[in-house]
Amino acid sequence: MADPDLFLMLLADARLPVAGYTQSAQLEPAVAAGLTGRDVAAYLRTRLRTVTRVEAATAVVARHHLERGLPLSGVESAWAARTPSRAMRETSRAQAHAFLRLAHRLWPDAPSLAQLAESARPPRPLALAAAAVACGLPALSLARLVGYDDVQTVCAAALKLLPLDPYDATAWAHDALGDVEALAVEVAPLTTPGGIPAAGAPQIEAWAEAHAVTTRRLFSA
Amino acid sequence: MPDTTHPTRALRLGVCGPVGTGKSSLIAMLCRELAGSLRLGVVTNDIYTDEDARFLRSAGVLDPDRIRAVETGACPHTAIRDDISANLIAVEALEAEFAPLDVVLIESGGDNLTATFSPALVDTQIFVLDVAGGGDVARKGGPGIERADLLVVNKTDLAPYVGVDRDRMVADAQEARGGRPVVALSRTDPDSVAALVAWVSRELARHRAGDLVPADPGPMAAHSHAADDDHTHPHEHAHA
Repeated sequence: MADPDLFLMLLADARLPVAGYTQSAQLEPAVAAGLTGRDVAAYLRTRLRTVTRVEAATAVVARHHLERGLPLSGVESAWAARTPSRAMRETSRAQAHAFLRLAHRLWPDAPSLAQLAESARPPRPLALAAAAVACGLPALSLARLVGYDDVQTVCAAALKLLPLDPYDATAWAHDALGDVEALAVEVAPLTTPGGIPAAGAPQIEAWAEAHAVTTRRLFSA
Repeated sequence: MPDTTHPTRALRLGVCGPVGTGKSSLIAMLCRELAGSLRLGVVTNDIYTDEDARFLRSAGVLDPDRIRAVETGACPHTAIRDDISANLIAVEALEAEFAPLDVVLIESGGDNLTATFSPALVDTQIFVLDVAGGGDVARKGGPGIERADLLVVNKTDLAPYVGVDRDRMVADAQEARGGRPVVALSRTDPDSVAALVAWVSRELARHRAGDLVPADPGPMAAHSHAADDDHTHPHEHAHA
């Protein structure tokens, strides 16, 4: 078994064939509503404290349940209750679908992946959690993965949506790493669905809903 | 690789080629010609809008629910080649909802001459050029032009208006393809439409017989073996 660091690199790699290029983490509707390059760093911080925090905490709690073979339904409902935007729930489930195609290929016999069958359409944090158990990724690493991936999704989409110097986008990601770490340290010890923070971001949720019904878009969400 | 041994899975037919060569119109044409005899589904890959999906829905050639749009985040090349997951999921959803389907048509977003489908996404693919894009394009070659399962030279009726020698362009295409099929297509020429439909019917028959092995046009694979992993080489060359 390779070191968990290597699995973390693999899963955080933008080249992973999981349809990441279809996602802007709601940056596209945010830009349509007037957000500019000057606001992206704040947008990253806001996500890490709200919607991404919910995703990361859900992943960590799901990992705890999967590692022990505990039922997942409570984790999934806790996530859904904290993700009020139907469009964002749909996006998370669609991303999980794409991710799980890959995960089943990489770890075909993993009991954690088999256990996801409990859910008809598992959301992304559950899928990432099952992969984390399959490759021995600790809770802290899993939480970092969720936070880091969200940051890079926003920065990569920003390069398509805004007039930017690519070095600026990487600098934003770099400068957000401290917030990613703070998020990971906060949620890593969580073990129960009730412990998942209820940290919504109504404006981001409204953007997600608006984007789902627009007919002019580069990104799926 | 697609599960080509499954006799009931739809034939997955990719249509790619540069912007504006007539991919959507070709798919609408195939739907009009085939919808009476075959159960069809369509997946489009628009760059910025769901315009292609709406065009096809409004063309009235197919039940609108059978036409799905996949957003490609400005990465149309990636979506049909390096990371096919979004398209594969859309195709499988169509196949599951409308089972059984005979053919699923997948329209690539318009891209450059190097973009071709992964053989893991489609069983067979059409590369579309048009005379209005320039008479020299076929001669320039490229993976799709040279090695797609079918090359369509479209809008041949426009040749006199854009100063292109249609026959020269088709001859260039045939030369570039070393015997692989070329259809010189015009929607105003019923014989050319019949030739296109006949090619699709032959591919479907091969698919159903289990004889259709997805072939990769490239960009590097002038010679590739999608199906046999442990073949031996009587000749020397590097594999892509």
